[in-house]
Amino acid sequence: MSPSNKPDDLHALAGEYVLGTLPIAEREAFEARLANDPELQKAVAAWEERFFPYTAIVDPVTPSDYLWPRIERSLKASAAGAPASAPTRAPRPNAPRRRLVHSLPFWRGVAGVGLAAALAMGVMLTNVANTPATPEYMVVLLAPQTQSAGWVVQAANRQEIQLIPLGTFEVPEGKALEFWTKADDWQAPVSLGLVEPGQPLRLRLDQLPPLEDNQLFELTLEDDSGSPTGLPTGPIEFIGRAVEI
Amino acid sequence: MSDSDMSETGKVHNISAESDGSRPTHEFDYADALARCARGEHAALHQLYQYEGSKLLGVVYRIVKDRGMAEDIVHDACLNIWQRADSFDPHKGAARTWIFSIARHLALNAIRGRDREVSVDLNAPHELDDDDTFQQASRVTDAFDWQTGQRMDECLQQLETERRNCVLHAYVDGLSHAEIAAHTGAPLGTVKAWIKRSLLRLRECMA
Repeated sequence: MSPSNKPDDLHALAGEYVLGTLPIAEREAFEARLANDPELQKAVAAWEERFFPYTAIVDPVTPSDYLWPRIERSLKASAAGAPASAPTRAPRPNAPRRRLVHSLPFWRGVAGVGLAAALAMGVMLTNVANTPATPEYMVVLLAPQTQSAGWVVQAANRQEIQLIPLGTFEVPEGKALEFWTKADDWQAPVSLGLVEPGQPLRLRLDQLPPLEDNQLFELTLEDDSGSPTGLPTGPIEFIGRAVEI
Repeated sequence: MSDSDMSETGKVHNISAESDGSRPTHEFDYADALARCARGEHAALHQLYQYEGSKLLGVVYRIVKDRGMAEDIVHDACLNIWQRADSFDPHKGAARTWIFSIARHLALNAIRGRDREVSVDLNAPHELDDDDTFQQASRVTDAFDWQTGQRMDECLQQLETERRNCVLHAYVDGLSHAEIAAHTGAPLGTVKAWIKRSLLRLRECMA
């Protein structure tokens, strides 16, 4: 167990990585090293195999009906974003960008951008929209591809929200924008109805639990009569999470 | 979600995938599914999801303890599996292990990243206290019904119970050293040393 015992240290470190006990900075440093270190990759793979049987300790949790359709939409969106990568997928120049758009840290990052933008725009918006001066929650809805802000949701209280357009949006013929929300512990998003591009909309959330921090809002492109399934089926045009102010 | 109430040392439940009678996972060719993902077949990913979606969500949820976040991570894991399927090398490990490790590490990145934002206060009682597995741990009985019928069982069996609990709390619950210390009552340095020594003993035993 002496510190100079190099192979032991390498295997112990790989084991700690697989267990998940490394603090985030060490974890990130380890992952950076792992990418180019075949010996370390071997050590990690061995620990993954040793511990894998113990995932069986955990009870399965049935995913919500919404999860697969959401994965499928993301798959299709990534395929649409990279048509050239079709059958031979070896070199995929678009992969990093697609990965970014669909990665969790990206969305966490967007939430941060949303907060900054919300705070920066707060004063301006309260003047423009003539809503109460102290909204409790704000959401900036960004276009996933360009990250440009398209709409803002303001809530003066946890039961009433206002959706405010920041610009116009071209809705294709026969299509409509549908507004959705989902709190972290809801099984599926709930439709808040269709939205006219460029038009503000005030909604009471009487049928829903009070608005909460980090609640997701999104606008998807659906058939002009709304989603046929009651769940989002079309591409996400704008998305953001609620920030408590 | 509680496993502890069925904990009883020495009781072997055949809970490995191969012997799980509810789903014929042994008939499913995971490596082939990954090869088909690499060729761009959406149906292959859907099959994987149908076989393993609830298991993946279970593993991730146990770590992040937030249903919405867990589904976000399984979503990301599926896209990762899809995008990285062509890098899977069957000579380096089993396909099913590879699939779960992607999901587990996304979950671990998420919670360890959260540790950075909210510094863990060792003395503060945690929301995790209501997890009854810890009461088991503090009595130094097995916190898990952990035997799977695999060879690794013998090696885990050779560890002292509290050390085995530390290792499994880390692997299954995604607990950090500090969280394990807080919940087992052992000093942080002791937990770190236990885990490191346990890992080396496990490796030696499996060699």
